[in-house]
Amino acid sequence: MTMTDGREPDRAAAGARTATSGPPAPAAKGPDGKPAFLPSDVDPTVFDETFLRQLERLLLLMRAPVRGGLKGGRRSVKRGQSVEFADYREYALGDDLRQLDWNVLARLEKLFVKLFIEEEDVTITILLDGSKSMASGRPDKLQFAKRAAAALGYIGLASEDKVAVSVLGGRSARRRTALRGSGRVFRLLADLSAISAAEGPTDLVAAARHAAAQLTGRGVVILISDLLDPAADRIIRELASTRSELIVLHVLSPDELDPPLEGDLRLVDVETGESIDVTADLATIDAYRGRLAAWKESFAQLAARRQATYVDLSTDVPLNELIFAELRRRRVLG
Amino acid sequence: MPFASPLALLGLLFVPAVVAMYLLRLRRTETIVPSTLLWQRLAADVEANAPWQKLRRSLLFLLQLLLVAILAFLAARPFVERPAGLARDLVVIVDTSASMAATDVPPDRLGAAKQAAIDALKDLPSGGKVSVIEAGRTARIVTTGTSDLGRVRQAIESIRPTVSRGDLGDALALAQQLAIQSGDAEVLVATDAALAVPPTTKVDAPIRVLRVGDARGSRNQAIVALAVRTSPTLTRSVFVSVANLDLESATRRVEVWGDDRLLETRTITIDPQARADVIIDDVPADASILDVRLVAGDAADTTARPDLLAIDDRAWAVVPPVRDRNILLVGPGDPYLETALSYLPNSRLFGLTPAEYPAGAVRKDGTSWDLIIFEGTVPATLPSTPILAIAPPTSSGLGEVTGTLTNPGIATLGTDEPILRYVDLSTTHIAKAQKMTLPAWARTVIPGPKGAPLLYSGVRAGLPTAVLAFEPRQSDLPLEVAFPILLANLTGELLGGSAAPTTAVKPGDPVVLTVPAGAAGLHVVAPDGNAVDLLPGAAGGLTVTYTRTDQLGIYVATPIAAPAASGAAGASARSSAAPSPPAASGAASPAAGASGGLGQGVDASAPIRFAVDLFDVDESAIAPGPNRVLEDLGKARIAPGASGEPGASGGPAAAIDPAAGRPNARDELWIPIVLLVLVGLCVEWSLYHRDAVLRMWRRVTGRLRRTGGA
Repeated sequence: MTMTDGREPDRAAAGARTATSGPPAPAAKGPDGKPAFLPSDVDPTVFDETFLRQLERLLLLMRAPVRGGLKGGRRSVKRGQSVEFADYREYALGDDLRQLDWNVLARLEKLFVKLFIEEEDVTITILLDGSKSMASGRPDKLQFAKRAAAALGYIGLASEDKVAVSVLGGRSARRRTALRGSGRVFRLLADLSAISAAEGPTDLVAAARHAAAQLTGRGVVILISDLLDPAADRIIRELASTRSELIVLHVLSPDELDPPLEGDLRLVDVETGESIDVTADLATIDAYRGRLAAWKESFAQLAARRQATYVDLSTDVPLNELIFAELRRRRVLG
Repeated sequence: MPFASPLALLGLLFVPAVVAMYLLRLRRTETIVPSTLLWQRLAADVEANAPWQKLRRSLLFLLQLLLVAILAFLAARPFVERPAGLARDLVVIVDTSASMAATDVPPDRLGAAKQAAIDALKDLPSGGKVSVIEAGRTARIVTTGTSDLGRVRQAIESIRPTVSRGDLGDALALAQQLAIQSGDAEVLVATDAALAVPPTTKVDAPIRVLRVGDARGSRNQAIVALAVRTSPTLTRSVFVSVANLDLESATRRVEVWGDDRLLETRTITIDPQARADVIIDDVPADASILDVRLVAGDAADTTARPDLLAIDDRAWAVVPPVRDRNILLVGPGDPYLETALSYLPNSRLFGLTPAEYPAGAVRKDGTSWDLIIFEGTVPATLPSTPILAIAPPTSSGLGEVTGTLTNPGIATLGTDEPILRYVDLSTTHIAKAQKMTLPAWARTVIPGPKGAPLLYSGVRAGLPTAVLAFEPRQSDLPLEVAFPILLANLTGELLGGSAAPTTAVKPGDPVVLTVPAGAAGLHVVAPDGNAVDLLPGAAGGLTVTYTRTDQLGIYVATPIAAPAASGAAGASARSSAAPSPPAASGAASPAAGASGGLGQGVDASAPIRFAVDLFDVDESAIAPGPNRVLEDLGKARIAPGASGEPGASGGPAAAIDPAAGRPNARDELWIPIVLLVLVGLCVEWSLYHRDAVLRMWRRVTGRLRRTGGA
């Protein structure tokens, strides 16, 4: 493998870390204020020093269970089909008798089956909603989505899975080259940095359909989107119908969860330019909240029916909490 | 319902304006949102699912319309009518005498009287006119013939209590003048009917008494006399007389303060309707102002109740200065004159014959004479001291003698001449007098025939000087009581001791004050600190009249130094001293005597103090009297429906009931309307801001919940 095989030249120039050690401690800074080791094509406003520190911490904390990686991927493999021994487990009814360890049976007169590390090549595809609506909200939804994608992608890379990022914008999905190995983390960050919100309206259904067509083999599909599309349920259906396991991270900003609106307003859609007159009194806001809750509930139910995982998130959730609490609680991470 | 200003109903034209504004609605604020997906159909859902929203908006709109209508209604001044209880022309007399300060009713009788008068205005017929008279020592019209009840209320509220004896007769006379101009008049007298001077003025209108005060409110004790007596041995005594005007005996404590120092206290028990006198001797010589206070009972007796009228529980007195004045009488000797002079208080009389003067006039103690009287003689050189010349034989600096007068008559006397105060010369006959010409520096005190003065006085070269043109023994004046009084007044002015009133002044009485020599006027400071400068009305006038004695206490008058006049006086004093030849022996220094005499004779800078005290037993008797005393002075009221009846004391009653054509009284309904508007505004506000309040409440509770969870 050459230097150009997945490693960034300036990362090699920085030379402070090995590929498996993750991002370096962001101590040294360049003349423009960003960490000196950070490639120039990584947006320091999105992946700032704080984020990199969190990523570093993530690596340390994930080192023990890193082999577990994304549980969604692990649940789909056939246990015992590889050659590398992993562990023993007591025999249970229905287990393949060919996996019984006869030597142990002879010695201990107990039934144990041998477990092997799976070696299936899992691809984690992160579908990032790049519509214009994602560029709004405080904190910015797109920025939050990029950081979440970076964190999840990094976990995938650390698990030696293939990680591919696909951006949904307009009516298509732009899929980036799949990456493998934790040494490609900066490439991942650069890919994510290059993503910007699409100009004009986005047909999320068409874009998702396009992305689904680009999927190869089994894997995990992580959709990060605000799902602000009249036919968002069709997106979930389209993606769930693929052979991959679907995880939907529904990202909304606090402004959308609890709109700080008051008075007689004309609301203008940032994506379509359509407007609607609303008198934002308390009753209206309450009705909005009810409608929002029902809307999210419909997605949750749909995802449950399609054996997909649905996680609704607010952009004010800190990354640490997202990775170590929210996604674990929702059984996205092992 | 009738309206006082029906044109104001045009304000209802604002109703369409409100409707138009509501229809036009306000411009909406554009707000960019990520998506209108969730907002679509939301407004419609809200309208459809919550009828309250529609209702609430409609309610706000209706409330606004209602408020506009109510405000227009309010501006039109709706009213209801009822029969008027008062005449069309009303004269309100408010008694402000000292007894109205009694506190048997809160806050005091005057406050209750004013409130009663204001309350009575409710029965005034529509368009009725009101005049308000304040009845103190004299009557004063506060407002006259106005139908503006707000102004009337303001006028009544502006009435302040006085400390003087009230005279309702004066006010009733004024009321009569106002009433006779009207065919339908009525007099309302707000008083305690504790009349110090029962009025006798008849009024050609019914009188209604609004009596205030507790019928049993007679609990009052008062200081009714205070005098300071100075004995020849320079000891002083204070005489205080306290009257108990209550129907029960009372125990009170008399405190005597001298210059803000407590000198003596006496506890006295006074029988009902009786007096108790207290004499306190040995008042310190340095006390100049005495302040006598009547306080509740013994200090140890905490159950003693204060009386109901406080203003007569305090009195002041000015202690006259005690200093012996040295008077030298130069002349052959007149027993009448010497006898009268010897009775002057605080003075020592010395005598010399004309031959012994001036050699014998040198004082051993180095002091100078306070006054030299030349009787029938005039020295060649006038001393620089105050001089009284009696029948000067020759012309001198004191005046030109042009002859003699035989049986001269006394011309008309001036009424404000301080030297003639209490002096009655109406029966005085003079056998012989010198015919004098009035010098430029003097004023005539007793005018004689053809402009020849019989007594004149003035300031000559800065020195008080007087000339009596006749010898007392050449008249029957020494046989009259006027003689010692005239001499006392005359020497008082020459010695500078009669500038202040010697007795207490009644509140409201004018005070004539003598302007000291060399002063341009007097600066008078009242007990409350208010000051006024008084200048003599005419050039060269020696007296000023102070009329603002409407407070009890000590008034201080300070001479105003006239820069030009004082300079001239000083210059003239020096110039007159300069030609005086020094005594041959050198033992006496006329120059020194002159300056000392000037300084001791008239102290131009010494303040003049006088006290104003109530000392009025009748006014201190505060028990409310019967209404009939006043009501009988008015015309009898005609009973409703009666064609007429004889008046009780006001003459025959009118055959036609003036109340027959009297308009009704109006009660304007603005108070309930304003309350309605306020309630409407509150409801509208709460509806409009209901969301904001709820949001705030949710925010606070949410924060508390989070804090509790953490």
